[in-house]
This record gives sequence, C-alpha cells and structure tokens, in this order.
Amino acid sequence: MLVDALLIALLAGLAGVDLFDGLTHFHRPVVLGPLVGLILGDVQTGLLVGGTLELVWMGMVPLAGAQPPNVVIGGVIGTAFAILTKADPKVAIGVAVPFSIAVQGCITVLFTVFSPMMHKCDEMVKRGNWRGVEYVNYLGMGILFCFYFIVAFLPIYFGADAAGAMVKAAPQWVLDGLSVAGGMMPAIGFALLMKIMLNKNYVAYFILGFVAVTYLKLPILAIALGALAIAMIDFFNGNRAQPQPAATRDAEVQDGI
Amino acid sequence: MAFNDSDAALVAKADQRMEQALATRTVERDDYLDTTPAEPLSNRDINRMAVRSLALQASFNYERMQAGGWLYTLIPALRKIHKNPEDLSNSMKMHLEFINVHPFDVTFLSGLVLAMEQNKEKLSTIRAVKVALMGPLGGIGDAMFWLTWLPICAGIGAALALEGSLFGPIVFLLLFNALHFGLRFGLAHYGYRAGLGAISALKSSTKKISHAASIVGMTVIGALVASYVRLSTPLEIHAGQARIALQEGVLDKLMPNLLPLAFTLAMYGLMKKGYSPVKLIALTVLIGLAGKFFGVL
Repeated sequence: MLVDALLIALLAGLAGVDLFDGLTHFHRPVVLGPLVGLILGDVQTGLLVGGTLELVWMGMVPLAGAQPPNVVIGGVIGTAFAILTKADPKVAIGVAVPFSIAVQGCITVLFTVFSPMMHKCDEMVKRGNWRGVEYVNYLGMGILFCFYFIVAFLPIYFGADAAGAMVKAAPQWVLDGLSVAGGMMPAIGFALLMKIMLNKNYVAYFILGFVAVTYLKLPILAIALGALAIAMIDFFNGNRAQPQPAATRDAEVQDGI
Repeated sequence: MAFNDSDAALVAKADQRMEQALATRTVERDDYLDTTPAEPLSNRDINRMAVRSLALQASFNYERMQAGGWLYTLIPALRKIHKNPEDLSNSMKMHLEFINVHPFDVTFLSGLVLAMEQNKEKLSTIRAVKVALMGPLGGIGDAMFWLTWLPICAGIGAALALEGSLFGPIVFLLLFNALHFGLRFGLAHYGYRAGLGAISALKSSTKKISHAASIVGMTVIGALVASYVRLSTPLEIHAGQARIALQEGVLDKLMPNLLPLAFTLAMYGLMKKGYSPVKLIALTVLIGLAGKFFGVL
C-alpha cells in the first residue's frame, strides 16, 4: 500500500505541474484514471471512473483566470477511492469533489504567498542575474509538485480504509443518491461554459447540437465536423460581406491568418 | 470575455492593464544604449522560446500573474539580443512587469516581442504592444481551447473510456496536443516573422476567430448535454386501471433528454444569477439525495 500510495502521489505531483506548466493535459481524469488504475492493478475501473470524472470536469476550466475545483486531485483521489473501496464510479464523484474544492482554496493561497518572490526577482534583474529568475521559476514548479504529492499521498495512505468502511456503512439510498447526483453533475460544467459563451447569436447552434444527439444519434466527432463546416461557411462568407472600406484597407493583412 | 465585450469595454480593460503594468515598473530608461539591431534569431532560438513558454505559469502569483514565467520564456533570446549588460537588465526589468496572457496562444506575443527587441524598439513601445494584445489573445485562447477544443477532445476520449477502451486516453492526448503544440510552435514563428504587421491582422480577426470557435463550441456543448447529463424519474402515473411510467410513457414521448436539458438550463440560470460552481455542486448532491430518499429520481 505504501508503494502504491507513493506512486500515486508521484503521478499527482507531475500532473499538478502539468495543470499549470506543460499543459499536455495528461492531468485530465480521462488519462489519470487509467494511470491510477494501472498502479492499483485495475485499469478497467480506472477507465470507467476516469471517463465519468472527465465529464464532470469538462466545463470546469480556468476561464479568464478563475480557479475551478481542482481537476488533478479530483481525478486521482476519485479513481483511487473507487478502486480501493469498490464503489460505483458515480459515487467516486462524491468523494472527489470535496477534496478538489479544498485544494482549489489552497492553490489560491499558494498564488498569494508567492507574490513577494517577484520583489526578489526585481532585485535579481537589477544586477542582471537572469539565472536567479530561472531558479525562482523552477522553485515555483517544485513547490507545486510537493504540494500535490502530499495532498494526494495522505488521504490515500491513511484514509482508504476509513473511506471503505464509510461506503460499507452508508445506507443504500445515500449511495444511490450520490450516483444520481453524479449523473447530473456534468450539467454544471456545461452551464459554466454556456454562461461565458451563450448569447442569442449562439442559441441556434446549441439547439442544433442537442437535436443531433437526441434525435439523430450522431457521434460527437460527426457533430463537431458538421459544426466546423458551418463555422467555415460563416467565416469565409463573412469576409466577403464586410463593408467595403474596411475590406480594402485590411485586405492584405487578413490573408495572414 | 474579450469577444463578447463592446469596444469601449475593451479599451477600458486595456487601460486598466496598462495601469497594472506601470504599477510594477522598475525600469528608468525608455530606450536601449545600444540601438543597432541585433542579429536575427534562428529557428532554433524561436523553438527554444516556444518550449520554454510551457513554463509560463511556473511562478504564477496574484501580484504580477505570469510575469516570472514570461521572462523565463524570453531569457535565452534576450541574452542573445542584448550584448550590453545594462540593456539586458533594463529589458528584463520591463518583462517582469504585470502580464496576463493566455497560456495557449502566448507564443504569438512572445515571438512578436522578440522581433521588436531585436530591432531595439523603445521599451514603452514594447510594453504597449504587450498590454494591447493581452485581451484579444485571452479571448481567442479561451474560445478556441477551453470552450471548443478541450470539450471536443474530452467528449471523444471520455466516450471511449466509458466503453472500457484504452484508446480513450490515447486519442484524447493525441488529438488535444496535435493542435496545442502545432499552434504553440506555429504562432511563435508567425509572431516573430510577421512582426508588427501581425497586430492589425490579429485585431481585425479576433472577433471572427472567436465567433467561428464559438459556433463549433456551442454546437458541441448542445451535443454533450444530450449525451452525458443523466436524469430520469421512476415515477408512475395511475390513470384508472392503467399505470403509465412518467419517463417512458410521457416525457420521452414529448422529447427524449427533456429532464437533462431542463436541469442544465436551470444550472445555467442560477449561474447567471451569480451562484458559484461549488454551490451548484452542493445543490446537485442535495437534489440527488433528496430525490432518491423520496423516490422521485
């Protein structure tokens, strides 16, 4: 168990850095789920939990810099607990979300206390010490790694048995209720995206996508490509219909993009 | 969001960013001592900058946002451009001022800034370009990556993973990063080569690119709501002798996925009223528990 918990903590540390630096997005639950599953010897459950958690977090992205509930800890802890306690993947959401909200708060604190380091950097660049600035950035990533490592290690190493006992003791309607809530949870992420993007210009496209699945049963990729076609028609026709003065003045620069 | 703002709001935001940048200014000169343009940077230099841009948020903090990582991105190229130590120091001071760009399309700006540094433009000119592009790049980055590309890739990956296929995570990573790294390196070179001419192109295209991305994003989100929000009721209606299941007999006849759509729109309405995602998560859990307890969900 110690080795498993250490390996998972290592994974969480790397993924936590990737969330801000690297951005390859292997920190998303759809990837972390099976990786945690691999460590714990149950890739199949890892895939299922990862897929489920991915949907919950789909819309919870750092829009305009605001920090959403932490996706890394949610993915790691949710998957680990589902495998260790043999709970339903949707119940794992109920375990993952409180942790991810707490970690989101800690990250905010971390970003606040790192501000004074900038004044150190001011001193360094005054003396032309560029290497010092590089070290400050490596330090930042190092702190993030350690933070995630600890936050993932402690609950998995010390809490797995307690969580397993709790899941066994909980009445069936609570587990079923959490499972129902888990099915509804993706709506929150989608609502978050809609809040940013939806205005009367785009309602039509929302309806189009909804109908394409509800009645036509098309797969997501087919719908995305269809939407791309519409966007391209709009993009290139919009070019042609632009008011004349603007069109002539910007003609040569617009070709660039 | 930059692409939904009016022009006046955009100007106000740019003014505010300039104030934030100037508030953290430590540089005193406005021009470089050595004003002869430096040797052009090689493709390798630009690629190196693009790789280092991955650490843009390494020292993220609420005072200067990404200033530390932004300077980290530029350091090797700046050292090559500024042979005079005082110039290098002044340049670094300016790049340590407040900056908040989008982590995905940042290389467009860093390429552009390196072209200006190489020409030894005035510090205030470079600062003005940085400030002017933060907003438009943020808007395009949000629209393209957070609202469109990530939901598409994640939707496809999650669907495969839920079927128990290992291709879920693999396809997700390959799809997402093909565009991610393609744009990161492509924009770095484009920004450097196009130089200042690229600014007007970007500004005139900001709304159109965001608009096109929003069309794709919104369609996909409509599709995802129908695919992945799960909500149904086991209630039955007693009509004389007959018992009709509310879900299959009535709601599905009206429209399949009616309840998921209604719940999503309700969440959307509450969010517009200012409810935070955390509150809505708690509310959803309560609804799930209460619904199971009373047997309506």
